[in-house]
Amino acid sequence: MGKGDIMNRFLDSDFFHDFLRAPVALISFCVVLILVLSAVFAQFIAPTNPFDPASLELMNGFTPPLEANMFTGEVFLLGTDDQGRDLFSAILYGLRISLFVGLMAVTLAMVLGVMLGLIAGYVGGWLDNLIMRLADIQMTFPSILIAMLIFGVARGLLPPELRYEMAITVLIISIGLSEWVPFARTVRGSTMVEKEKEYIAAARLIGLNRWQIMIRHILPNVLGPVLVIATITFALAIIAEATLSFLGVGAPRTEPSLGTLIRVGQDYLFSGEWWILLFPALTLLALALAVNLLGDWLRDTLNPRLK
Amino acid sequence: MLIIILRRLGQSILVLFLVALISFLIFRFVGNPVDNLMGQEATLAQRAALEEALGLNDALYKQYFDFVWRAIHFDFGNSYRGALPVAELIASRLPATLELALTSALFAMVFGVITGIYTAIKRGGFIANLILSTSLIGVSLPTFLIGVLLIWLFAVELRWLPSFGRGEVVTLGWWTTGFLTVSGLKSLILPSITLGLYQLTLIMRLTRSEMLEVLRQDYVRFAKALGLSNRQVHFNHALPNTLVPVITIAGLQLGSIVAFAIITESVFQWPGVGLLFINAVYFVDIPVMSAYLLLVGVLFVFINLLVDLLYLAIDPRLRDSQLNGEG
Amino acid sequence: MSENLLEIKNIDVTFKTRHGILKAIDNLSLSVNKGEILGLVGESGAGKSMTGAAILGLIDPPGRLSSGQIWYKGQRIDQAPETIRGHEISMIFQDPLVSLNPLRRIGDQLVETILTHMPITKYEAIERARKGLEEVGIDPERINAYPHTFSGGMRQRVVIALALAPEPALIIADEPTTALDVSVQAQILDLLKRLCRERGTSIILVTHDMGVIAETTDRVGVLYAGRLAEIGDTRDILTNPKHPYTKGLVASTPRIDASSFDKTLYQISGSMPKLDAMPCGCAFHPRCEFVLDKCRSDIPSIIANRAACWLLDKEESLL
Repeated sequence: MGKGDIMNRFLDSDFFHDFLRAPVALISFCVVLILVLSAVFAQFIAPTNPFDPASLELMNGFTPPLEANMFTGEVFLLGTDDQGRDLFSAILYGLRISLFVGLMAVTLAMVLGVMLGLIAGYVGGWLDNLIMRLADIQMTFPSILIAMLIFGVARGLLPPELRYEMAITVLIISIGLSEWVPFARTVRGSTMVEKEKEYIAAARLIGLNRWQIMIRHILPNVLGPVLVIATITFALAIIAEATLSFLGVGAPRTEPSLGTLIRVGQDYLFSGEWWILLFPALTLLALALAVNLLGDWLRDTLNPRLK
Repeated sequence: MLIIILRRLGQSILVLFLVALISFLIFRFVGNPVDNLMGQEATLAQRAALEEALGLNDALYKQYFDFVWRAIHFDFGNSYRGALPVAELIASRLPATLELALTSALFAMVFGVITGIYTAIKRGGFIANLILSTSLIGVSLPTFLIGVLLIWLFAVELRWLPSFGRGEVVTLGWWTTGFLTVSGLKSLILPSITLGLYQLTLIMRLTRSEMLEVLRQDYVRFAKALGLSNRQVHFNHALPNTLVPVITIAGLQLGSIVAFAIITESVFQWPGVGLLFINAVYFVDIPVMSAYLLLVGVLFVFINLLVDLLYLAIDPRLRDSQLNGEG
Repeated sequence: MSENLLEIKNIDVTFKTRHGILKAIDNLSLSVNKGEILGLVGESGAGKSMTGAAILGLIDPPGRLSSGQIWYKGQRIDQAPETIRGHEISMIFQDPLVSLNPLRRIGDQLVETILTHMPITKYEAIERARKGLEEVGIDPERINAYPHTFSGGMRQRVVIALALAPEPALIIADEPTTALDVSVQAQILDLLKRLCRERGTSIILVTHDMGVIAETTDRVGVLYAGRLAEIGDTRDILTNPKHPYTKGLVASTPRIDASSFDKTLYQISGSMPKLDAMPCGCAFHPRCEFVLDKCRSDIPSIIANRAACWLLDKEESLL
């Protein structure tokens, strides 16, 4: 079974055909692809590095898009913000932060959730009870609130000097910790089903210990629905990051993500510098919509239809 | 039936104590109250005296119970910023948030259910599909983005509505209301839409899918086969069965309106408890944070309890099955 | 000869799917006489329930009645089925557990149905409802009970009471006993038979159970892959089936008389074709032991008023 085989099977599959025939999925995928690639190659595409304070010229501030700045004569594709940052570069680098935080947060949530789900499902007993109670309690609160809470606590625990440096890390941890429950619940359910099966009994007879059984035998078989949850959680994580940054408790002003840029833009709405708000807002809109639509479509297709 | 209610009540109280515990732990161990109240220059002796006075050296469980006791009497200590009693701060800003939450919830419920029913009955129709496609946007977009874009459209470009604040408010005793002035009502519009939009799309999709499911049920086909008119079938048979799960889930969502209020209040500079909280997070104002957490926790537990009891009241099957021990 | 109450003429029920247009019912013609019990038998997917739904206009999209006519008491009803639902033609569904609205008392559902069709007062309607419950063997004091407080058999009785309340001339009973215990089945069938004989109501009894057909029906139609295979007097068809499929059905019905104890149960080989993979010509020919060349290419219509089989044609021409 070579790589070519797998590729052929994929191209022949219903999944791929459904994908090609759903214009929504196709467009969303392309949008996501473009945005991701722009973010990854931001260093090469962006004309300036917006995070380097040395490269900023205050005089460049408030330049409208495609117009020459009245002091320096420089032209910027999408204009500049209040500190002279080229908006186009800022958006690209901001995208990078958004995607990075989203990815890392999902990974954290997934690893944590899957682990807890495996343990709860396989070991059972009071441990299972504890984990599930925790999950229930956490689920009664919206995840954004939990993220804010964890963020607040983490900030409180850190000495003031570290708060700026660790901002991104804390962001990732708070979002990740707020999203583990769906992973845990699904994996727990599948684990409870799998552990009754004979190949697990066989593994026990051979003398494998709990961890080996859980990770090497059960885990591969319960990963299926995890992908779908991961996609949805990724969309949620991106929105959470943007929201926290917008509220001022996420990515800082000097290394702005899309949310931070929008916050700045809002301040200047009434004075007429509309571009500072609009371009980051539109980018975020495209990203959020595309990821959500893709996730929705994925969830619908991968679900076995009983109708 | 009484047993069931008592059982649920017991569960709720347990969770409440847990929430209070977390709130207490944050209050006590995150950040240093002594540092904040005394500053850097205080001597060790002064610190020790303050620690004793604040009861920080007592046994932990005693501190916990003190905390809960004070909380029940609405004493949450003083804010780190400005040393105002937290309880007063929260009380003064609560009406703003509650009015906003109420208006949004009503907006979301009413329009959500109406559009949900419409798109279910007129499945496949042009307008129905249009509504559904637009709703996708409502679900995918972050709340703050919707708010900001609404401000840009209606406040900056069209200049129809105000972009921040509550407008004029009327004081009625302890409460301040924006319902009684024109500017108050105008200020309420954009924030309510922003806050309620997500809930609206959720309720709409839920109502629609429940209604579609119900319309496929045999008892609906049976009612049709018996010659009942479409209107009778939809309103007497389909709707009540649809609304039961919708109300429960929508009720649970009510709690999340409180959470998203934080974002909306931030966008519109709405002087409510949400804005208070986010500022507390930013400035690491621990007493406010922990008090807010406790309040929100109580609110959520209360809402969950209420919804559970409501469900019991509406669906006669649940009453009996719980009695027989199947619940 | 009693006049035809219901006449189905050459109807097609089609579904538009991604794979093309599928025919769930193909060129079906049937009639029901006043006061008779007509059985409709066939495997799952043969189109029996679809026929009932077609008569009442209850086919769910994307299915539709795409051609043919349905006549009732001399009027065409396929264009406007809403006019006859309830007070002329009524229907009973298979699963009594889901036929009743769980949130409403049975009395309310009865009164609502009665008031929809009869211009009487609420008080009178309640009286009628009580009487209706009595007739199906339910204590009228339970008129305010909820459906979930009844057992399956009792629920089906309530359903029958509901179906009879508007006093229709024809009832379509779609597998009314399939979801019930065997001991209850007989009771329900007896009830149905008795009530209809008393009132002169006709019944179309849809089932897959040959035993039920034998016990209850006057005439029976056999459906296969959406087409009518055979139709005639029940006794006749059971003792002397003409269509090879019917022969197979009759032969494969388990018997409990001593003579068959040591025989293996007969089975028709193969299975009913799926709607999107219908064979050319006669739908049954791939499984038929009497297959002729003509069967492979030409779809047979009902010959000699009895069966859709080219064998009959041969017989006729030989006579």
